[in-house]
Parts: sequence; C-alpha cells; structure tokens
Amino acid sequence: MTTDFSAFTTTRRRFLKGTGAALAASATGLCLPALAQAQEITIISNLSNVEQRQILQRLASEYEAKSGAKIVINNMDHEAHKTAIRSYLVVGAPDICFWFSGNRMKAFVTKGLFDDISDLFAKENYKSVLGATTSAVTVGGKHYGLPMGGLLWGLFYRKDVFAEHNWTPPKTWNDFLAFGEAAKSATMIPISMGTKELWPAGGWFDHMNLRINGLDKHIALMDGKVPYTDPMLTPVFDKWNDLIKGGFFSPNHSSFGWEQAGAALAQKKAAMMDLGGFVRSAFPEADLPQLAYAPFPEIVPGVARYEDFSVNSIHVPANAKNKQGARDFLAFFYKPENLGAFLAAEGAIPPRNDCPPSKDPLVNAAVEELKKVVGTSQYYDRDTDPDMAQEGMAGLQEFMVKPERREQILKRLDKTRKRIFG
Amino acid sequence: MSRVWRRNRHWLTPVLFLLPGLILFGSVILAASIETVWISLHDWDGIGAKTWVGLANYVELADDPQFYVSLKNNIIWLLIFMLAPPIGLALALIVNQQIRGMRILKSLFFVPLVLATVTVGVVFGWVYDPNFGLLQLLFGAFGGTAPALLSDETFVTFAVAAAGLWPQIAFCMILFLAGLNSLNDDLIAAGRVDGARGWRMLRHVVLPQLSQVGFIAIAVTVIGALRSFDMIAVMTSGGPYGSSTVLAYQMYQESIFSYRFGYGAAIATVLFVIMIVFIAWYLNGLIKAERSNA
Repeated sequence: MTTDFSAFTTTRRRFLKGTGAALAASATGLCLPALAQAQEITIISNLSNVEQRQILQRLASEYEAKSGAKIVINNMDHEAHKTAIRSYLVVGAPDICFWFSGNRMKAFVTKGLFDDISDLFAKENYKSVLGATTSAVTVGGKHYGLPMGGLLWGLFYRKDVFAEHNWTPPKTWNDFLAFGEAAKSATMIPISMGTKELWPAGGWFDHMNLRINGLDKHIALMDGKVPYTDPMLTPVFDKWNDLIKGGFFSPNHSSFGWEQAGAALAQKKAAMMDLGGFVRSAFPEADLPQLAYAPFPEIVPGVARYEDFSVNSIHVPANAKNKQGARDFLAFFYKPENLGAFLAAEGAIPPRNDCPPSKDPLVNAAVEELKKVVGTSQYYDRDTDPDMAQEGMAGLQEFMVKPERREQILKRLDKTRKRIFG
Repeated sequence: MSRVWRRNRHWLTPVLFLLPGLILFGSVILAASIETVWISLHDWDGIGAKTWVGLANYVELADDPQFYVSLKNNIIWLLIFMLAPPIGLALALIVNQQIRGMRILKSLFFVPLVLATVTVGVVFGWVYDPNFGLLQLLFGAFGGTAPALLSDETFVTFAVAAAGLWPQIAFCMILFLAGLNSLNDDLIAAGRVDGARGWRMLRHVVLPQLSQVGFIAIAVTVIGALRSFDMIAVMTSGGPYGSSTVLAYQMYQESIFSYRFGYGAAIATVLFVIMIVFIAWYLNGLIKAERSNA
C-alpha cells in the first residue's frame, strides 16, 4: 500500500517537473521565429465586400508570382477594424492598411502613425492622374496615403416606381414637399431611413446644411468654429422639423439600420433614400437596372452645388517593417487596370482619371454628376472630430424622434463642441 | 539541490502552486484595476501622451446627463434581474417532479444558457422588430400595432433587460435544481412524519436548506445585472440616442468611439465602486458559510 502511494507521489512530482520544463522550453521557443522572412508584405483589410476581397487576393497572388515577395492578407470586420487600427498602428503594424481619407486620416498623421509616401507619389506621377482628389490624402503638402473609391451621396429611387406615378426627381424644396405629399397619398414612405447606426441622421443634416449655408459655413461648423446654437442653423432645423412633422421619414427609424431601410426602397414601400452607391447591395440583381440617382434638392436658390463625397484610402503605417515592399506592392495595386477592377466590385468612383470606364451605369452617372459639383465635404462623422461626431449624431437622431427637444439638444451639442474644440 | 528543496519545501510548494494564479490575478485584475483608476485621473486619447487632470473627469461626470441615464438604467436592470432567482426557483420546483417527459422540459428550459448572449440578443431584436417581429404578429392577430420597443426611450431598457433575464432565469433554475438534489432526505422524511405537506413542507423544510444556493443565485444575478453590456451592444448600441446605455456600455462608448480613455476609466471606476459593495457582501456571505460548515 505505502509503496503504491509513494509511487503515485513521485509520478506526480515528475509530472510537475516535466510540465515546468515544457513551459520553460515553450517560453524560450517563443523568441525563435523573430528571424523574419526576407521579403514579406502584410496587409490588414477592412473589406466587407466578398468580391473585393477576392480581387485583392488575386492581385496579391499575381504580385507574388511576379516579384517573389510573400503577401499576407488579414481580413477584419469593417466596424471592428475602426477600433483595432488605433492599437495596431502603435504595436504590431502591418505594412499596408485600409482607412478613410480626410480628417480621419489626419488624426493619425498628426500622431505620426502614417508614413509619408510623397516619394511614391513623385515616382509614379500620381498627381497628374488624381487631380483634386490628391487633397484628401495631403497634410501640409505631404501625401500620406492613396485615395481609393469615392462615394457620392444623394437620393436614390426606383425608375419604375417613379414612372408608374408619373413623378420626377424633385429639383427644388417646393418640388420636394409636393413629392412627399404625393408619395404619402400613394401609401409610400417618402424617405426611407434607418438610424440605428446613427450616421444616416448625420448625412441628412449635412445635405440640408450644405444646401442652406453652403460649404464654407458647413466646414466651419465641422471644425468647431461655429456654435451649434448659431442662428445660421435655425432654417436647417426649421425645415427639417417640417419634414419630421409631415411624416416624411420611416416610422420607428431608430430601431433598424440602413440595410432594412434599403430593402424598403427595393420593395417599393418607400419612394427615395439618402445614401451612397452601395445602396445597390440592398437590391436583388434583377432590380438593379431600376435603381437611379438624383441629387439632393436645392433649398436656398443661389447656393452652389456642394455634395458629400467620401473617399476611402490605403496607407503605409509609420511602424511598418517593410516600407519599401509596401510601396512596390501599392504601385502595382494602383495601376489603372488593377484599381479599376478592385473598385468596380464596390460600385465606387475611381480616383484616377485613367481607369477604364465602368460597366455600372450608376457609377458612370455619379462620375457625370461629380463634374457639376462645385465643392465637396466628406461626411458628418468623417469631417468633424470623432468625439463630436458621436455626440452630434446621437443628438440629431434624438431630434428626429423628439423634435420638440431641439433647444436642449443643441445646447448640449454646443457644450460638447466647447469641450472638444476649446 | 535536493537538500535545499527538502529543507524549504514546506513553504516553497504552496508558493509555487499559488504563483501562476497570483501572477495572473495580479496582472489581469489587480494591476489593471489600479491602472484604470490612474488613467481616470488623466485626459488620454488612447494613443498619445496622458495629461494629468486630477478629478476633472469625475467633476464632468457629475454634470453629465448621460451618466444619470446610465445609472438609472443600471438600477432598472438590477430590479428586473431580481425576478430571476424566484422564477428560477419556481421552475426548478416544477421540473424537479418525477413525471414522464420532465427531462425534455428540463432541457428546454436549459436552452438559453447554452446560447451565446449575443445570439439571445439578436433573436430578441427580431422578436421586437416593429415590421416583421413576433411581437408585431402577436399584436397583429388581435388587430393592434406593437409598440416599437427598441426605439422608445421609456421602454427600451425594460425590453433589453427582459431579453437578458431569459438566460439568467435558466441559470438560477440550474443552481436551484442542484440544490434540490442535495436535500437531506432524513429531514424531509421527518417532516412527513410530522404531517408537513405542500406549502408548509416547502416553507419550513425545503427552503431553509436552499438558503445557501439562494444566496449564491442572488449574488451572481446582481453582479450579472451590473455588468450587462453585450445585450445592449447587440440590440440597441445604447440607442435610441443613448437612452438604453448602462455604465459599462457608456464606458465602452466613451473610450472606443469618442477616444476618451480617461473619461471612460472614470466611469469604470464608479461602476467598480458600486460593484465592490455587492462583491464584499457576497464574499462576506461565502466566508461565513464556509466557517459554519467547517
């Protein structure tokens, strides 16, 4: 009996020793793979579009075959990526990452987290093919990324529905009000909107403010230079209030997102919807030819046409290990035929003017429309400080549900503005 | 080597065994908590340099209407979750009967515990959907219109907490079932001899034996209610316009979306202080129970 017992204890002790040794071995083993691959390029993508992911993968394999470099692509969920980028840019940066141009890019540039790629711009002569879009990735005369697809925001509708009711896209504010009444009498929701994710309320505010106060004043507000209680916003909220009271928007819009609102448009339950070209993903393939774009109607005559045009972008983090490899791959990826194929899958407008013309009539229409636009902002949550955007969009959503709280919402937003912009 | 070991093993052995747990607890829980308090005294965006602001975050918190909304919602969660232990007990008593088919019923009640909370949230989100949800179908059958619970600032927290209550009831039921299985048969037989039946049996013989389990069920439910987060994130993202946030969600929102880690840490600290009251009460009860058992 006793021998049995002692035998058991020795095995236990031996087991513990063995485990300790194994742990120690694995701990030292962890340091070994630090001998890095000679030529490896890592990419973190936030693409939610399957087709686009496949094209990126295809381009990567082509580049691997051509150059002998190894490319590793890590796909992340689009929303999760927005928070993850803040940590991975500091520790464990990839060589290439996807992001948004403009203010959102600038936030990382000022912290020194994106690499200056002006050399790549000069070498590939990107300025000549990008034109005005260059400014979206430029801070202080230096270029920190390459602009990707652009989204032109506006009102989308179904051609067959409009033809059936003999409607035309409203051009002026009075047209728009009349159109809303007509839609309601046809038992349709005039404007489909889902504000669960808040940003559609921000976009609607952008469009009304751009039509009433113009681009400069709108940007001044986004930069925190104009208070939210400023009288210039009174007509914006007055007119918006008329629409809310008039039942122009989807009922219970705060309980669902844009996908469900887009489905209502596709199913002919709603007449129009304020979105970018990606509204196409809410439509079945067969219905796509019916989808059409109309600019947001004019509100104050004489105000030039300004639109929200948001541009995504691609960057080399400042902490990337293989900056030269990243530049070489970007040069290949950014060739007109490659970039064109990549962006066509998303229905986005290519930033290069030498990309092959798109087969998508919606993209071509947007390209034509863009030529008539005098100036562009990006989007509420891309133009203002992220902290302000969060409070602001929640406030605008609250206004859409409880318009009678307007005074107190605007006061609260201005308190936030003062805290952020000083 | 072996002599050193032999001389010191009476204290080395327990230390070595405790070390992994202590290191893990120390770094993941203790150090992180202390750092949170430290961060809450700074203005920090999560990347750049921290600026010392003293108690400014707490002063701002005291003047933040959103904070009081979150606090109020935490209390609503707590009150609704308090339904879980009694309902769980009632269900446990029902499914504990020796009747054919009870096993199936038992496993059905057990289901929500197997589902991930996120799944429960998504499912309830659909139930509440004003356009195609089960609730609307139910109201529609009687010719009514269901209220859009998730976009109504008054009802939204109740609706989300009710969804969270479902798995919590199942959890309490399991606890009580385990308790019912370890009842002392002698006591029950003695009670029966003395003529106790039905309600009196339950009240005076069964329930006193379940007091330990009941205590654990209540304590775990309180803590579960206070750290509620995932359900809110999935079902409403704190909306509409922040009216369904709780402290844990507001902390997440301030830190991650608004990039205000200092302010978020201040909220976390307040939540921690509230929780510690309950945790202290829980630990105190546990220690007492262990002493009386020993």
